[in-house]
Amino acid sequence: MSSVELLPALLIAVPILMATVPIVLGLRFDRTGWSVTAITTAGMFAATAYLAADVYATGPVVHVLGGWGEPQGIGIELVADEFSALIALLVAATAAGLLAYTRVGGPRGNTFYAGYLLLTGGLLGLTMTGDVFNMFVFLEIVGLGTYAMISSGDGPESAVAALKYLILGTVGASLYLIGVGFLFMATGALNMVVLGDLVPELMAAEGEPTLLRAAFAFMFVGFALKVAQWPLHTWQPDAYQHAPDGVTPLIAALVSTVSAYALGRVMFTVFGPEFLTATPYLTEIVVTVGAVSVVAGSTLAVIQLDVKRMLAYSSVSQFGLIVAAYGLVTEVALLGAIVHLIGHGMMKAGLFVAAGIVALGYGARTVDQYAGLAGERPVTAAGMAVLLIALVGIPPSIGFIGKWYIAVGAVQAESWLVAGVIFLSTMLTLAYAARLLEKMYFTPASTLESPHAPDAVATDGGDGDADETPAVAGDGGRLADADRRGSPGAVSFGMLAVLVTVAVTAVVLGFAGGAFGDLLKPFVSEVFN
Amino acid sequence: MAEESVLPLAAVLVSAVAVFLIVASYRYPNVREGWSVLAALVKFGIVASMLPGVMDGTVYEWSLADSLGVEFLAGVDFVLRADPLGMLFAMLASFLWIFTSFYAAGYMRGLDEHAQTRFFASFAASLSTALGIAFAGNLVTIFIFYELLSLVTYPLVAHNEDDEARIAGRKYLAYTFFGGGVFLLAGTVLVYWLTSGVDPAGEGTLAFETGGIELLAEAAAAEPVFAQAAFFLLIAGFGVKAAVMPLHSWLADAMVAPTPVSGLLHAVAVVKSGAFGVARVILEVFGPGLIHDLPLSVPGVGEVGLNVPVAILAAFTLTAASIIALRKDHLKRRLAFSTTAQLSYIVLGLSLLHPYAILGALFHIPAHAFGKLTLFFCAGAVHVETHTDYVSEMAGIGKRMPLTMSAFAIGAAGMAGMPLIAGFVSKFYMLIGSGTVGGGYWIFAAALIVSGVLNIAYLWPVVYTAFFESEERHDAKPLLEFPPGGKRESYVADDGAVATDGGNPADDDDEHAPGGQPRPVDDDEGDTEAKGAGTPLEDETDDEGYEYAVDQYPSDADVPGGHDGHGDHADGHHDHGDHHHGGPPAGGWERRSPFSESTWLMIVPIAVIATGAVTLGVVPDYAVFLELVIYIVESVFGVDSFDELGGLSLAEAMEVIDE
Repeated sequence: MSSVELLPALLIAVPILMATVPIVLGLRFDRTGWSVTAITTAGMFAATAYLAADVYATGPVVHVLGGWGEPQGIGIELVADEFSALIALLVAATAAGLLAYTRVGGPRGNTFYAGYLLLTGGLLGLTMTGDVFNMFVFLEIVGLGTYAMISSGDGPESAVAALKYLILGTVGASLYLIGVGFLFMATGALNMVVLGDLVPELMAAEGEPTLLRAAFAFMFVGFALKVAQWPLHTWQPDAYQHAPDGVTPLIAALVSTVSAYALGRVMFTVFGPEFLTATPYLTEIVVTVGAVSVVAGSTLAVIQLDVKRMLAYSSVSQFGLIVAAYGLVTEVALLGAIVHLIGHGMMKAGLFVAAGIVALGYGARTVDQYAGLAGERPVTAAGMAVLLIALVGIPPSIGFIGKWYIAVGAVQAESWLVAGVIFLSTMLTLAYAARLLEKMYFTPASTLESPHAPDAVATDGGDGDADETPAVAGDGGRLADADRRGSPGAVSFGMLAVLVTVAVTAVVLGFAGGAFGDLLKPFVSEVFN
Repeated sequence: MAEESVLPLAAVLVSAVAVFLIVASYRYPNVREGWSVLAALVKFGIVASMLPGVMDGTVYEWSLADSLGVEFLAGVDFVLRADPLGMLFAMLASFLWIFTSFYAAGYMRGLDEHAQTRFFASFAASLSTALGIAFAGNLVTIFIFYELLSLVTYPLVAHNEDDEARIAGRKYLAYTFFGGGVFLLAGTVLVYWLTSGVDPAGEGTLAFETGGIELLAEAAAAEPVFAQAAFFLLIAGFGVKAAVMPLHSWLADAMVAPTPVSGLLHAVAVVKSGAFGVARVILEVFGPGLIHDLPLSVPGVGEVGLNVPVAILAAFTLTAASIIALRKDHLKRRLAFSTTAQLSYIVLGLSLLHPYAILGALFHIPAHAFGKLTLFFCAGAVHVETHTDYVSEMAGIGKRMPLTMSAFAIGAAGMAGMPLIAGFVSKFYMLIGSGTVGGGYWIFAAALIVSGVLNIAYLWPVVYTAFFESEERHDAKPLLEFPPGGKRESYVADDGAVATDGGNPADDDDEHAPGGQPRPVDDDEGDTEAKGAGTPLEDETDDEGYEYAVDQYPSDADVPGGHDGHGDHADGHHDHGDHHHGGPPAGGWERRSPFSESTWLMIVPIAVIATGAVTLGVVPDYAVFLELVIYIVESVFGVDSFDELGGLSLAEAMEVIDE
């Protein structure tokens, strides 16, 4: 077993084991969490990059845990192929980069960082697992990690949001598990590649594989919940809004993204395009769920007052695009979905970091309070503007590349409804993006005519948990914050550096459409042939 | 022959680099404007340096894949190439930018505008993207720059940061992104899909080919419906910026932008990018041959070419917009509707497909640009010097601004297509074209002529009122609103009850307008300029405290002209810091010489552009544009000399293409 083949296992095991270290060290030292996490995630990022380089140079890397069960395909496998390597890279990079925000912006504490590492390990596991049962295990680890992250805010809203996520997320994972059960009953296998071979055989043998269909239905609904597709999205805006500012980028960029990745993995590696297209109404349903989410998510985003909540609904809409692209079942659309997964994860991470910076340094949380941001905080505003524009899909940006491939896929599939929704999604995204842009750049900052005295809200601007005050989210009581305009000193260079890096990367990757195509070609064409 | 060259990229990037320099030197207005001018000169220099080569048949090409080995999208390259059609637009935009950058400096300082750095930065970025559109070598590349152009011009439209500007900005974004992000992208994807369907390797092609993309012609034979859909989507996408009805309404609202923007961008770069895109689609994506032959069956009419619906829409637009312009009292809005009409000339000429009509249409791009830029510059100069925006307040203004209004007269004559001015040449060719086609196409020739008459009807009154009417005695404007034969008006208060006549210098809020009202003191102007130079942002705080009573549109229709409408005007002007009344001062316009009517920063560009308009009209053969246009038409039709196309009917011309 070469050293590269060890990496998938290490990438999962190390962060989970390291998650205990901050707690243990916490017995003696107060502030070790950040350093331990920084070292671990940096190492993980390097390892992932190395692994990815190997994958793209020589092909998929498979790690059979303990070398057991190889011939039957019932052992536990960890697979880094072209698809999962890219997602793993996103996970590792985001987890490492975000630390630059949490260093100063919080949340702090050793237990928080223990959860942070646990979540990262779970996400990487979910990314690289090669069998459907372990996918459930990692879904649960991710769910618990996310729960811990969200509830690390210290207000009642985060507790409620976390509980909501816990319940709904567990329901989703359970539905998925039921699906796995059906699948196992039908095929007797759990390994994804083996399943991928058995499913077509079973279809040929039975014609109407009821068990398979039931399995897919349960799994799809389970993932629709995890990915936050309308109308199963309700946990997500609360979770994103009420999680501490330092946590939202992580869960917004990664948790739903990796779940959406898992959905793609199940749809294309396990069930395969043949099953998807042969089953009546399957693609129609998937596409409709996605398309409706696009429209509903953007519409809800437009009417939000709170910026983080608006961005959360935007995620519903953007994931709708990805799910719809899955449902098209064409090579190009799948490529587009993968690119958009990466792109959206990155852009959303950047946007939430920006929202955190603004809340911290400018005291603004609602769209109205963003007025005049461009004049006061030019770098933050510019970074946010670039990311919003990229999200709309204006080239050159990663957002455009994903949209282009999905659109081409939709037209190739001659699925005009989806094509229409995709083209119109530009306008829908623009509707909420432009709203923020206009506030930042073309609305002079005004001391809002706030009747409240500054002491009405007891936030301390420098604390990342500032949003957890009991004030009603969105309006009213928050206006007082605007008068004080946050505490610029609380924004560190690292935070701005992360934001600028993400913004620049989003644009630079806009020229990498061909590169993405080349990298993912082996995976995509294998799925379809 | 294609030659690899970095020049097209350099031409695009010059002003993009300037954006950074402009932002970096925001503390030093003179340095900042220096960058603008320098970038404009360098840009024009680069573009002009390619001209001789292009005229000899060289195409300068820069592609991301060839030079850096980066593929923009799978199967789609990012290409910039300087071909004759691109050169036409690039020459025009980069040449006019030189003068506009002087004028913009004069205008912005004269009005002491806020956020000048953002303004100049966005302006430079707009030129960058406009050149990108000109040099784009395929549909994706043009789409990229088309979207970016919408984006970077948005700050210019929303510049004033008041409600009117914000609403106009929203409308602008909505329209232009609907055109770009929805229609144009959809059309591009469709073309890509169609061509990849017939390509043996399965790779689609989007690169422009003179006379039309061959693979697309093949695909259109197999899938005519989708090809038609793609055509109309692309035309609609570009038609939004070309302000073809019913997608025109953003243009008039965008006139809240500072006048240099209205001039260069909303009469030249932005709107022409739409018209230019239409030219690309008709000449180099589908090709006149394919468009003519691809039958569109209309119930009750039979089969017509794809071009006919476009031509009908354009003919309707140019007539309707001219009629609307008659009713506009706000000068810039009147000019905006004139632009709408004139752009449709270009679209109409292109969609007639006849070589002469195409020639005329393409030549109308520079012809209209010179004429309309003159008009806007004049409107802006009048605004800066006298704060007069409404035609009804301009009686006798020729005394105050003799050179400006003379230039306005030249521009107006050009719009109407008077001989010896640029507009005549292009309209002449278009008329020949539509006349030669014959058949039902006579209606388009009629529309051209009717619109020419309407042009006179809405622009001549401005000239007339400036020179031949007096403050005390003039017809109420707009003429159409009042009884036939005109209604006598006077600015001089004829009943003592109304004491608040427009421009009384002792008026309430005059302290807001340090350089605003015309004053006999000469050094007042110098003072204004120095103030603009030194403290660009100083007045901002004052403005914010100021309550504009309403943010309503300056509804033209309900401005009856004369003194009793002044209250409304003041609210509608949104001049930022110059809350004032337009129209002549109490004692009537003072008489000034051409040298003292405004700053040289504005006078010189006006004079130069107006001269250019005349040059294009008198000796078109010696101004490069006509030569370039003829060359384009020759290569589209695949002939060696334009004379071969003389006198051909449309069907014969299409046969020439097919060979």
